[in-house]
Amino acid sequence: MSFKKPSMLPGFGLTFGFTTVFLSTIVLLPLAALVAAGTSLQWSEFLHVVASPRALGSYRLSFGASLLAASINVVFGFIIAWTLVRYEFPGRKIIDALIDMPFALPTAVSGIALTTVFAQNGWIGRYLEPLGIKVAYTWLGVTLALTLISMPFAVRAVQPALLEVQRELEDAAETLGAGRFYVFRRIILPTVLPALLTGFTLAFARAVGEYGSVIFIAGNIPMKTEITPLLIVIHLEEFDYHGAAALGLVMLAMSFVVLLTINLLQAWGRRRHVRAAH
Amino acid sequence: MSITLDQVTKHYAGAPVVNDVSVNIGDGEFFVLLGPSGSGKSTLLRAVAGLTGVDHGRIALHGRDVTHVAARKRGVGLVFQNYALFRHMTVADNIEFALRVRHMRARARRQRRQELLRLVALEGMDDRLPAQLSGGQQQRVAVARALAHKPEVLLLDEPFGALDAKIREELRRTIRQVQRELGITTVLVTHDQEEAFAMADRIGIMNFGRLLEAGVPHDLYSRPATRFVATFLGAANLFLGHRTADGIKVGDAIMAAADRTPGAPEHEVVAVVRPEEVEVAATREALGSRYLGQGVVEELVFTGAFERLRVRLTDGTGAPLLASDEGELSTTLQVTRTRHAQRGFELRTGQTVAIGVRRLHVLPTPLSSFTACATTAALAESLGRQPLLAELATRMKTRIGVRVEPRLGVPDAPCEAPEGFAGATVLAAQPDCAQRAEWLLRRGAQELLVLPAQAAPPQRVLIHWTDEAARSATLGVSASVLRHVPAEAVYLGIFAAEREGVHPQGMRELLDARSEAQASHGLEMRTELRYGDATQELVRHLGDSPAPMLILGVADLAGFAARWRPLLDGGRWPVLIVQRPTA
Repeated sequence: MSFKKPSMLPGFGLTFGFTTVFLSTIVLLPLAALVAAGTSLQWSEFLHVVASPRALGSYRLSFGASLLAASINVVFGFIIAWTLVRYEFPGRKIIDALIDMPFALPTAVSGIALTTVFAQNGWIGRYLEPLGIKVAYTWLGVTLALTLISMPFAVRAVQPALLEVQRELEDAAETLGAGRFYVFRRIILPTVLPALLTGFTLAFARAVGEYGSVIFIAGNIPMKTEITPLLIVIHLEEFDYHGAAALGLVMLAMSFVVLLTINLLQAWGRRRHVRAAH
Repeated sequence: MSITLDQVTKHYAGAPVVNDVSVNIGDGEFFVLLGPSGSGKSTLLRAVAGLTGVDHGRIALHGRDVTHVAARKRGVGLVFQNYALFRHMTVADNIEFALRVRHMRARARRQRRQELLRLVALEGMDDRLPAQLSGGQQQRVAVARALAHKPEVLLLDEPFGALDAKIREELRRTIRQVQRELGITTVLVTHDQEEAFAMADRIGIMNFGRLLEAGVPHDLYSRPATRFVATFLGAANLFLGHRTADGIKVGDAIMAAADRTPGAPEHEVVAVVRPEEVEVAATREALGSRYLGQGVVEELVFTGAFERLRVRLTDGTGAPLLASDEGELSTTLQVTRTRHAQRGFELRTGQTVAIGVRRLHVLPTPLSSFTACATTAALAESLGRQPLLAELATRMKTRIGVRVEPRLGVPDAPCEAPEGFAGATVLAAQPDCAQRAEWLLRRGAQELLVLPAQAAPPQRVLIHWTDEAARSATLGVSASVLRHVPAEAVYLGIFAAEREGVHPQGMRELLDARSEAQASHGLEMRTELRYGDATQELVRHLGDSPAPMLILGVADLAGFAARWRPLLDGGRWPVLIVQRPTA
């Protein structure tokens, strides 16, 4: 096998070797172990675990809530990033730092805090209760927790892209007769769309794998508010390692499909541009 | 008129960025706004486009007041320095942007696009992305895009800034051609004087947010009215000279014929000599022009068509050279010679030559130089180093002289300095300076600056005169000062309290003052009407203003010190007194 020499700097062999070893040790090997463990079951046993009504319900919640949370974060993350990039106001730096708080907090703490606020007698929950809206111990609470912990990904992905949108582009569009909404739709959105998709992907990936914060607010009622990672833990606690691995394998496959779809979408968008150019 | 600006003012963080700009731009005219960076020219252009609001004044396009109309409804096309093309759209989509916004049908859009691409010589590039075009091509697309919706006015903000010399030349020609073909009124902003000359029907020169002068390139170059324009537009040698009955005297030599009636009093002037109007020859006799003095060639640069020389004046005719284009006081003249002149008389560095002046232009500025006046040489010299005075002198590219009057302020004592008063005399603000000011004014000082030690550059200049006889001179001096400081100008008309009922007359006097300032001195100023005692009103107004300066015109010196003591003695504000006796 021969590699092109892309740089005059020496050390390609070293860096490539390191990359391979590193990725293999911490990503590929554990995944391989997971696949091995998951597939060591009989087909019927495997189906029994992964297609049980309880498991199916947990997939729906896990993936549905994660997709919803990522979508919410794309919209509101964009608005937050816009505010931070475009406006100068006192406390801007503080808000900018606050964005990263969900990164730093142990997720269990986030879950407990959310539960405190949104429980039936919590600060906000008590006002929602008379309206018939229950947040804690419902799928709403799960979505809320996933939104919280995946929010930084969306904001941080969009922020640099927004910095790239020059003020002058908007000025140019305005002098050409475009109204604000038109400028947003035709100039700003297309420019930041790839970043928005990346933000969505990251937020979704983070949300699907989340465990700590959700279990406090979800109430963990089988079929209703039980997420797949929790189901996996339950299997583990019963020493059913193979069942846990089988569920993990399904999650892995589904996440892979979602991420691949988004990546293909992005590539297709890029190709469309290039094709328009010829 | 296509574009009418009336006293347009824009402040940023308290300081005026665009300061009282008024100008009319005609139909189909190519107007170039020229100025150094930070002079407010781009802000003014954005204000015309509607992208920046104005704090004061009016903007009209084709007779329609658009001061409060949004940019998208003004019907202007704007081209930016860095193209500002929509990078995710093809050339075709970029150009059609304004047409899509207006819901034009696809066929009509395509037709207009083809027309525009032909106009900017980019046919067949429809499907390219901006990233696939060169800088020059991108800017052509930007021009086509800005013209798509048939705007009434085309605005260009340093459109060639990011391009290299050759492409720039080519694009200039294209834009000029397109502009002529469409007959569209165009405003171009640039800091490059060569570009301004190449493209403009008329040039407006900006500095410190003010539009200093506007005119056709040839007039501005050969007859500038201000030092800034003289030195910014091409290179210039500035001399201090005297206007005498015999003509314009520089040092001991008469350099130009008298250009005024013989009866006019002798006074100091600033004269401009372009480098190409300086002649060098082996001897005085060989000169074809008026002899200025001897000099030594210090530097010789061959630039192709021309030869640039720096010649240091050596002999004692005492020609006071103020500045060459470096803006420093020096004795080195800038000279350019054609190939023809080079062949006739070859030069080496170090050679001694006779210097002559073919043509000289006298600036109409009344503030030719400053002279710090005090009782001892040490005091006068330290006054000459006062930061505001030093800054004013640097900006005006003039010098600060020193005058010692040991008996300054002693009643009935005569002047001891042998020479008369030249330019503006400067006096330190002290407890008894009203007395001293009157002493100097009575002995012939026409412009007297009373300067507190702590005075900072003014942000607001108040103008007032007590007598119509001093009006024109006061406006002339005010115009000269305001060209060199980024301050707002306010004329205060103050009338005695019992005349309060006579409103129309007061208003008329304000309007007269404003229109004379505009017409004769190119000065834009605000006007305010006050009633009461002039001294009290001025003190009140000065006290209310941040960093003010007062320019006060007086005719009659009777009771001067007593009347103006509250203004002068405290030493709180710089006051420039302009004295013109009643005829």
